Amino acid sequence: MTSETVRLTQTVKGAGCAAKLSPGELDRALCGLDLPVDPNLLVGLDRADDAGVYRVSDDLALVQTIDFFPPMVDDPYSFGQIAAANALSDVYAMGGTPKTAMNIVAFPAKTMDISVLRLVIEGGLDKMREAGVVLVGGHTVEDSELKYGLSVTGYIHPDRILTKRNLQCGDCLVLTKPIGTGIVATAIKAGLAGRGVTDRVTRAMATLNRAAALVMRDFPVHACTDITGFGFLGHLAEMVVDSGHGVRIRGADVPIYPEALEWAAMGLIPAGAYNNRSFRGPFVDFAPEVARSVQDLLFDPQTSGGLLIAVSADAAERLVDALRANGVEAAVIVGEVVAEPVERIIVE
Amino acid sequence: MVNELDCRGLSCPAPVLQVRDLLSNETPDTIAVRVDNDAARQNVSRFLEHQNYRVHFEVQGSEFRIVGTRGEGVGVPAAAFVPGAAQKPETGAGKIMVLVTSTHMGHGDDGLGDMLMFNFLKTLKEMGPDLWRVVFVNSGVSFTAEGSEAVPVLQELAANGVHVSACGACLAYFHILDKLQVGEVTNMLEIVTGMKDAGSVVTL
Repeated sequence: MTSETVRLTQTVKGAGCAAKLSPGELDRALCGLDLPVDPNLLVGLDRADDAGVYRVSDDLALVQTIDFFPPMVDDPYSFGQIAAANALSDVYAMGGTPKTAMNIVAFPAKTMDISVLRLVIEGGLDKMREAGVVLVGGHTVEDSELKYGLSVTGYIHPDRILTKRNLQCGDCLVLTKPIGTGIVATAIKAGLAGRGVTDRVTRAMATLNRAAALVMRDFPVHACTDITGFGFLGHLAEMVVDSGHGVRIRGADVPIYPEALEWAAMGLIPAGAYNNRSFRGPFVDFAPEVARSVQDLLFDPQTSGGLLIAVSADAAERLVDALRANGVEAAVIVGEVVAEPVERIIVE
Repeated sequence: MVNELDCRGLSCPAPVLQVRDLLSNETPDTIAVRVDNDAARQNVSRFLEHQNYRVHFEVQGSEFRIVGTRGEGVGVPAAAFVPGAAQKPETGAGKIMVLVTSTHMGHGDDGLGDMLMFNFLKTLKEMGPDLWRVVFVNSGVSFTAEGSEAVPVLQELAANGVHVSACGACLAYFHILDKLQVGEVTNMLEIVTGMKDAGSVVTL
């Protein structure tokens, strides 16, 4: 297959972040492992945040992350852009500035023309340029399915790390991109998604979280994560666990691609959404009026989703205005941190 | 007669597509589908319920047998989900693009103008298959958002294959980007290229 004829989503089993190992299984693999200890490791595996942070000096720490996955769109260049935007996002979610990156590639050289790989990497480079990141190397293996992503290193001040775990009672939760990329990707794979919605969602997935991350630096933000494979509620649950607070979400305020609601109702839901629900569902109480398709969407694994930002309530409206003024047009307040019920998520 | 479909060994979205293909040719009173993973079970169940079947399932070892029994009334025709069925041909002389730039039609009394515009949108379907696109810009975008009585009217147009879209920058300007109820978000490039591709453009 050449780059003109290949439909990448038809060559792989899982799509994008929907291909992620289920969170329950990952937990079983990692729990109880004897991890090396280092006082300069400020954020490590034991806290399972978006990226690891290692202190180099009093005013400099490294942020490191890696992400790669099989294609969720058919166009190789767009896939490269999306995979890179998704990998860079973890550094933005920590409040850091990405600086260097390495390609990680699995390529089916026996069945796919090498020109496809060139386009994928060109797409990745496009996003690295936009992010001000330099490519310093990479590693490619032959595999049965195409996979692409980046290992990214960035800077951060050790006192300005934004983790998932600092929710304050009364904080507003701001989401910066609509939800539904996993279901849309499933519809693309099924050949049901028209060009309009495919282009719109592809653009959103290829959009860096850079602008959102730069804007939030000027606001009293307490916690942040990016929404990827565990879905909106899965990542929110990670913020809520051990926080001592609860969260109230207004389901109707969560921005959702309208087409995805219809596709969810007809059962075009990636297996990852069901895995996410069985792992984190016990933390969530849905009001009876929240439609099942909306519930499915809230667990839908996202590829290169938006940032979920916990910000002081009195600054939340200004943050949303500033985000929209800087091109983050979908930014919206979706809920707030409450005292009760502790460590539960209520969706109304 | 029970239609039995074997979708074992298939991963999402293949089982749903197989059931859809079967139901687009016939509407059996009972349909049974075998799958071997829970995601496929839930997806096929959702699809059958969406097609107005009552659904239950049997567990058989690590496999599932989903049985759907046709309910009263009519579901959404499966053919509505045939790829491209809802899309108009991308070329053709009769393609009309309607650009709605305001909440009211014409100048004079705005109350009258509002009434006229709503009436215009309701009557638009009479253009028939020549109606290709309806694009909303400036305050016109409010027709596509929550709270507008035009939403069901536009949904009907969209269901009939008309491409309905609203300017993203305008939705953001009026803070209703998240309230979009019908159609797709569009941008100036798409609007301009749409004008080029259209047979004629009607601006209001």
